[in-house]
Amino acid sequence: MGCAKDIVEYVGVPRFLFSDFPLGNPAGKPHDPASQDFTLDLALRVLETAPGPRTTMQSPLRWSDDASWKLDFSNIDRLSPEELAHRRAEFDRQKEIAKGIREKAAE
Amino acid sequence: MTDPGPGPFAASEDDVPIPYRHRIATYYQALGYGEPYRWAHYADVPFTPLNKPLAESRIGLITTAAPYQPDKGDQGPGAPYNGGAKFYTVYSGDTAVDHDLRISHIGYDRTHTTATDSNSWFPLPALRRAAASGRIGEVAPRFHGAPTNRSHRVTLETDCPELLARCREDRIDAAIIVAV
Repeated sequence: MGCAKDIVEYVGVPRFLFSDFPLGNPAGKPHDPASQDFTLDLALRVLETAPGPRTTMQSPLRWSDDASWKLDFSNIDRLSPEELAHRRAEFDRQKEIAKGIREKAAE
Repeated sequence: MTDPGPGPFAASEDDVPIPYRHRIATYYQALGYGEPYRWAHYADVPFTPLNKPLAESRIGLITTAAPYQPDKGDQGPGAPYNGGAKFYTVYSGDTAVDHDLRISHIGYDRTHTTATDSNSWFPLPALRRAAASGRIGEVAPRFHGAPTNRSHRVTLETDCPELLARCREDRIDAAIIVAV
């Protein structure tokens, strides 16, 4: 179950239930148990019925009627130079923290 | 003759699955990083048909979400990216009890979703409901956490074998991997 269609299909998996939702919602819409049950059931149906590897099923659920949310994620065309500089500094900081944890885990 | 146009049910041109590989590559290039991340990529993909009805099957759950760790900074809901909340070894949890799993260590869409409902990324309660209704035979005794390690080598040589061993110990018939 996932929301990044191109990445999962590029890697290659036996079966894939794709939800065309913002990253972070592979198991259905937040605060919407009916959507979550529906999404899991679709995944189970893909598990049962896929005829072979790389079977992708796209959930018919829509995140919203307006698809413009898809234009925002990591889209440099929508960021100012100041915002880019800020994000670069923050990313460097996070990488250092993660490196520290990794090294500690390897000890 | 005039063009009849796309019709009232046509979707907009941008209404396609987001091309994440392109977006992420151009994003990090713009941040000043050189070589783009190389995603794992396989021509041959394994496939094993389910060998018994789902209603008789034991189903496992694998997640990339992380257990909440109070000492590791803001983990949301709505936290900025938190590299400190990442985990680098496989972990497991009892599926009979509830768990507080977070996704602040993952590059999810912080603009358009809030990470306020773990059921949207960790469907253990939904899986329990599927077992209660008889849709699946049973939920595996444990779920497993898959580290989101950038290293293909560590994923392939360390984390995947460990996940597989734990799934075999649990005697599951199939696993659902939920990638946040």
